[in-house]
Amino acid sequence: MSSSQPIIQLQDIEKTFLLGDLHIEVLKGVSIDIGRGEFVALRGASGSGKSTLMHILGLLDRPSGGRYLLQGKNIADLPDDRLSALRNQLFGFIFQTFYLIPYITALENVMLPGLYGATPARQLKRRAEELLSQVGLADRLHFRPGQLSGGQQQRVAMARALLNDPQVLLADEPTGQLDSATSAEIMALLKSIHGQGRTVILVTHDAATAEFAEREVLLHDGLVQNR
Amino acid sequence: MMAWSRIAEIWLIAWRCGGMARRALWAAKTRSLFVVAGVALGIASLTIIVAAVDGAERKANEMVALFGPDAALVLGGNIESRAVGQRTLTLSYDDAAALRRSLPGAYLVVPMRAQSNVQVRYAGHVTQVPLVVGTTAGYARAWDWPLSEGRDLTEEDLTHSARVGLIGDTIAQELFGKQSPIGRTVLMDRFPVQIVGRLSYRGVTGGGGAVDDRIIMPITTLTKRFHLDRKYFRALRVKFHDPEYMSAHVENLRSLLRHLHNLRPEEEDDFSILTADEILKFLSTFKGGLILFLGVTALVAMVVGGFVLANLFYLGVDERRSEIGLKMALGAPRWAILVQILLEAVGLTLIGATFGMFLGMAMGQLLARLGVLEILFSWKVFGFALFASLAIGLVFGLKPARRAASMTPIEALKGC
Repeated sequence: MSSSQPIIQLQDIEKTFLLGDLHIEVLKGVSIDIGRGEFVALRGASGSGKSTLMHILGLLDRPSGGRYLLQGKNIADLPDDRLSALRNQLFGFIFQTFYLIPYITALENVMLPGLYGATPARQLKRRAEELLSQVGLADRLHFRPGQLSGGQQQRVAMARALLNDPQVLLADEPTGQLDSATSAEIMALLKSIHGQGRTVILVTHDAATAEFAEREVLLHDGLVQNR
Repeated sequence: MMAWSRIAEIWLIAWRCGGMARRALWAAKTRSLFVVAGVALGIASLTIIVAAVDGAERKANEMVALFGPDAALVLGGNIESRAVGQRTLTLSYDDAAALRRSLPGAYLVVPMRAQSNVQVRYAGHVTQVPLVVGTTAGYARAWDWPLSEGRDLTEEDLTHSARVGLIGDTIAQELFGKQSPIGRTVLMDRFPVQIVGRLSYRGVTGGGGAVDDRIIMPITTLTKRFHLDRKYFRALRVKFHDPEYMSAHVENLRSLLRHLHNLRPEEEDDFSILTADEILKFLSTFKGGLILFLGVTALVAMVVGGFVLANLFYLGVDERRSEIGLKMALGAPRWAILVQILLEAVGLTLIGATFGMFLGMAMGQLLARLGVLEILFSWKVFGFALFASLAIGLVFGLKPARRAASMTPIEALKGC
């Protein structure tokens, strides 16, 4: 396995949903290679299948057809709990709606991915504090999500995504609920995360946001649009 | 070695799930409170049933000890088939004499009759004695009931119909306070009786009122003074050597009495024999009824608590879809989700059990004070409550927990 091998290879990925008797083909054979340390934007209008593709990329869902090679290994053979472990170790997630747990503090939210591993709690806490100060929230450690602004919440989510030092960061419309000034801050953070040598995959409908990436993959009607 | 570190990791994660469960329960206070209340009511009824059954058992043992394991009580008339107008005065002094003479193994035969509600006076104090018992010599011995002062009734007292009596502890307190009753003369109705002995305090309430509320007199005196039938008496107490042969003793007694009463084989007994065994049998039937009645009540209450839990947890799992989905996305294995929800359920049922036990004890005390139930609390209650609450939590928490664990991260995340 050479280091030049793509970290993610999608070959003819299909995804069909069953809605009653209706088969809805959302992905109709998507092939993408993503190299280590790349910053890729998956852009498409709503209904283009970009969210579904992101779920498959993040091991949150399995494809109905095609092959997904993660670091050269076919994930179709892996059981659910193995996928959980891979998500835990290899991926960080950032969602449009942040998905912070409302009744625990920012610090505890950031520690969450670490709780499903063997790292001692004290170490997790130190790492979470570090990450929160990196995203500029050193003075908000013990605030609940409800006490934070949208931009601050998204930064908590970014710190959380980095806790287990993942190789791949998946960001699904990370600025979708933020005003333009805050969005710029978040995108700058994303760029600096990429600068740390991580692979970043950004899912967006917005061409301007996609500009931040090195490469853009345009998705239309379940297929990659070649230009 | 790998396996051990994996087990340690699983324990660590499970422990952390417990911490998350605690936070989640605290965040949903109202829902938690409802579950705790539902389970507490179930455990409270369980506490009462266990205490009541233990109380009934203690009562049974007390009654048997009071009765004496080596004794039989013969009652006139057949208590199992008491036809209207059937004679209950079937035991005669001749029977008693014959038993005394020829019943093998019997060392004491004491005829008894009783007069109820007799007014007794002493120096201005008046009290109503519920039971005046007429008996032959050796009452204290026949009932294993030691005297705290004075002497027992003797053959002399019997032959002379002496105006003497033994006094129950409660009556003695009422009439004489702290003074000794021995040698003092009380007026029963209109005739004087000298107190010669005082029965020690027993404190057990038998079927018909407190046992310490009585006066014992020679049966001859009682018969004369209250103008009772001179030939027959109501009951006969027999004590035997070798209580391990009680069933044989009872058969001998029955045959002899049937012979004395000239009963033909097809005729039923015209008397009833009660032994400690019989009393135990009766009491265990009573206890069985108690267990059944209270058990069904407690079971229903606990199942209701369980359904409250299951329902609210179903709702909770639905409401917390996105939280569950998020945890899955962040790498929580399915079993960790299952463990967290189960720990939430069991945590609440354990809290409910704690409240329920206190509630049950309070209600049990109240029922005992009101004289509705005899209760006895023991460590057993804790054991039962702990076990039952764990069972409710696991059984009724399992479905919601499995539902949560079986979601896919995507459907869970989209649920919000």
